[in-house]
Amino acid sequence: MDNDYFSIDAILAENQKIQCTFKVDIPDMGHLAGGSDRDIKSLTKAPIPIWLAYIILFSDWADFTIPSPFGTRVRNALKAEPRSVKLSNLVGAGGLWYGFGKMVMDILSEEQANGISEVLTKAFKGRLLEVIDQAQHFAALGPAGGGGPSTDTAQSFREGLDGTERELFALAQESAKRMKRWHEGNDKARR
Amino acid sequence: MALPQSLRTSVTPLELELIASEHLVEIVPLITMEKTAFISVRIEGAYGPLRPPAKCRVPLWMATNLKLKKKCHIVPPEWLSVDFLQERLTRETSRPEFSKLPFRFAEIAKVILDVASDDVQNADKIKSLLKDLREARQAKSRDGLQKLDHSELSLPNLCSMEINEIRPFFIQAMGILTQLVREPSAE
Repeated sequence: MDNDYFSIDAILAENQKIQCTFKVDIPDMGHLAGGSDRDIKSLTKAPIPIWLAYIILFSDWADFTIPSPFGTRVRNALKAEPRSVKLSNLVGAGGLWYGFGKMVMDILSEEQANGISEVLTKAFKGRLLEVIDQAQHFAALGPAGGGGPSTDTAQSFREGLDGTERELFALAQESAKRMKRWHEGNDKARR
Repeated sequence: MALPQSLRTSVTPLELELIASEHLVEIVPLITMEKTAFISVRIEGAYGPLRPPAKCRVPLWMATNLKLKKKCHIVPPEWLSVDFLQERLTRETSRPEFSKLPFRFAEIAKVILDVASDDVQNADKIKSLLKDLREARQAKSRDGLQKLDHSELSLPNLCSMEINEIRPFFIQAMGILTQLVREPSAE
């Protein structure tokens, strides 16, 4: 999530592509757009990974459109019910939706960035409780668990967790398990 | 870091139990012992003398040790009783805030109930009350999660074991929120 040079999470989040529209001709860089053309003509659209996009955007060689994981459709869906959106589908398996969002946010101008920040924060808060609830539920099931009536909505919510939320899920589950072990253990022999 | 992953996020319940073992409890000794100095975190590290049947205050670890050798009876602290816990449970379920309990009540209660359940009246009832109390309080810390904010969180009267349980993911979640929230810039 942080933009640290050594952060593996940041590197993974940077691996997403954003749609850029070039404003100027760039000679000998046609391979970036994936075509067989030698040069990039102005007004060409090309998906550029975000780590490369910084320099292109800040040098004012191109404009970019807000990527679809943060587009109007997703925003409306999140507004309706944050828990029903599958974030993992938006950024690919193991993707970091929040990390990607944070990076897009940092490129954008003040007003748009605030908009994205609000979307991200609301989504995170809206989903957090469900993440923790499910983590604790699974910790309570014990090692044999997995069985039991698990509803379809719960299952599909778990599949839709993004990388950041998965980490939280694991933390909460581990902590709840530890507490359970302690409460249930009665080790007189240890004393 | 050299610590295994599971120990990095917070201390373990067992470590908390160890810390709580320094708490003083009353015992009725069954043996005589002179005042004896122990290695202790307290400045006053000497306990005793033990003169049956006079009561004496010793740390929990010593009481546990003596009890297991059948050399004392532990006098449960006054809050470890059906009346007190029942009253707290009623308060816990009727009011929105956490009720006040001894900071390390979970650890002390567990140790005493583990080794000296015969010294506690209505041990089974107390166990189930403690469980109810724990669940009521867990529901409240879950509400606290809902109000989670990137900068602060106030859950007064939360006890050590409960803090320890929610610490890993509360911290992580607040860290993420700090990244996501944009402060209105000063310019």
